Amino acid sequence: MAKVRLENIVKRFGNVVAVNNINLEIRDKEFVVLLGPSGCGKTTTLRIIAGLEYPDEGRVYIDDRDVTDLEPKDRDIAMVFQNYALYPHMTVFDNIAFPLMIKRKKLGLTKEDIRKKVYEIAKLLKIEDLLKRKPGQLSGGQQQRVALARALIRRPKVWLMDEPLSNLDALLRLEMRAELKRLQKRLGITTVYVTHDQAEALSMADRIAVMNKGRIVQVGTPEEIYLKPKHVFVGTFIGSPPMNIVKCVVMVENNKYYLDCPGFRREIPKTLTKIVRENMKIILGIRPEFVEVSKKPLPDSIKAKILVVEPQGSEAILNLDINPEGEETLIKVKTRVTERFSSGEIIYLKPDWTRIAIFDYETGKALE
Amino acid sequence: MKRTKYKITLLFLLPELIFLAVFVLTPIIGTVVISFLTPGGAGLDNYYKVVTEKSPDKALVLPDNIAKARPPPWGAFIHNIVWVAIHLPIVVFLGMILAYLLHEVRGSSIVKSIFFLGMVIPMVVGGLLIRFMFDGTLGVVPVVLKTLGIKGLISKTWTNYPQTALISLILGSVWLWTGFSLTVYSAAYESLPKSYIEAAKIDGASGFQIFFKIVVPLLKHATIIVVIMTMLWDLKIFDIVYVSTLGGPGGSSNVMALVMYLYFARSLDYGRSSATAVILAIITLIPGVWFIRRVMKGAKTR
Repeated sequence: MAKVRLENIVKRFGNVVAVNNINLEIRDKEFVVLLGPSGCGKTTTLRIIAGLEYPDEGRVYIDDRDVTDLEPKDRDIAMVFQNYALYPHMTVFDNIAFPLMIKRKKLGLTKEDIRKKVYEIAKLLKIEDLLKRKPGQLSGGQQQRVALARALIRRPKVWLMDEPLSNLDALLRLEMRAELKRLQKRLGITTVYVTHDQAEALSMADRIAVMNKGRIVQVGTPEEIYLKPKHVFVGTFIGSPPMNIVKCVVMVENNKYYLDCPGFRREIPKTLTKIVRENMKIILGIRPEFVEVSKKPLPDSIKAKILVVEPQGSEAILNLDINPEGEETLIKVKTRVTERFSSGEIIYLKPDWTRIAIFDYETGKALE
Repeated sequence: MKRTKYKITLLFLLPELIFLAVFVLTPIIGTVVISFLTPGGAGLDNYYKVVTEKSPDKALVLPDNIAKARPPPWGAFIHNIVWVAIHLPIVVFLGMILAYLLHEVRGSSIVKSIFFLGMVIPMVVGGLLIRFMFDGTLGVVPVVLKTLGIKGLISKTWTNYPQTALISLILGSVWLWTGFSLTVYSAAYESLPKSYIEAAKIDGASGFQIFFKIVVPLLKHATIIVVIMTMLWDLKIFDIVYVSTLGGPGGSSNVMALVMYLYFARSLDYGRSSATAVILAIITLIPGVWFIRRVMKGAKTR
């Protein structure tokens, strides 16, 4: 049972504002991912929750208790570090037992109690047979499990993870993703997870907080983040390949609003006509997978020239120029491999206009 | 092909080998040879005389003590051992705790530099400074003790009394040598991943627990270096004793290297001087060899 609330958190390092006025509420038993490019302040935010950094402004609450001035040890949290931070001079058993051993008297535990708990948690993470080894003798995946075990043994209120999977190889990472999520749901521990890997975020999170330049740009479920980006940054950061960006201008003709884009024109949906003005610059966001591709002209389609084809197994990514007659405008389109495409070919695109995002060119915010 | 390469290697090594042979190997062999020579022929006579010597200013162990009730002098060898026993733990502990405490303090580099001054100044100057530090009228130590209200030795010049001469030199050498220990520990501490300490903080450890359960074990390699280097320095100690007390008063602060020098320069007894040198060399070799083995083992496993 634990909620975490961040209120107006600001953290500066010298002249650099690492975290700029962050407000975030994490619900009980929720798995929240802080996602963003390196240097966006996500790790600093996590460290502020942990108590390893002191915010210059703002308060941190855990279960409605103001913990801003408390030491990490008094916050009842656990953290998994990117490099695991397993104590190299201790055996796996001692590493896992460490959080209990140092508070043994206070918690009123006997050594036998601790031994039982260590075995219990080791069993949960399938590392019972590693307990006598030293961290240096373990593989990356095993070290990862030990680090998770150490973070879980106290049954903390909040579980913090700083890119815990980034040191694992690709296959193991996929496996651990699912396992971590299962573990979190089973134990019901409120979790804050930091990553720059959008695939990890989309697959694990209950909610994602996308960060950029010290600010939270959008908070939402993976679906919301993916389908309804509130800012052009979210669209271009998430998805692989990310959302295509096309710069267009609003035009008015016969009392009708049009988007004048490189290579095509399109009438603006009625819902938006109140927001836009003539000559306003906007950004069209098109997800690569929401575009229909055809070799023959379709009604209302966009003509495009294939520059490069990137096969991906069952799918292929087409790198296209949608303005073959004018200034080169590149977009990427994902398509199932049913037909063979080759570079230089002319094809026709039909975007799913219900799933197109429109952003203000000046502010980058979505127009709704 | 391989043979010519070998020859070229040898050619380049030759000047070095000659240099080593003339200036390092010859004196060592010479010293060992001389240590066995006596006017009456060759034998262990010099060693026997050196070890059983009872005059306070040259004895290695347990000299005739004029005032039996209150030693020192205990003999130069014992003094060396006492030196290690007091100096080594203080230097190791101070270096470690200062490196840990100063790590997160702003301006700690200034403090570290002041400590390191002890390493930079020549030991001869260091010896003189120790004399001043413990001087009854000028010294900083008696003044500090006076302000703390500790009476007794306060107005005496420590180096002039057999009871305090040795301990004042040992304490003075703490100041001269802590800079070394602090520097090694600071570098080692700096290279520790910060996340170990942060993880311990989050796991609930107090500052004490972090220091003793995490930092001290992780600084093991630095500790080996500091312990060995300090031991060797303590066993070979000469210059600060020579300058501040010349082993006195009455041999009460004598050390082995000084005994060797006194046989050589005062008594002109080269045989016994060499014998002392060989004994001292063998004693320092014990920690030295252990250290080199340790380092070699470390290099192999890495």
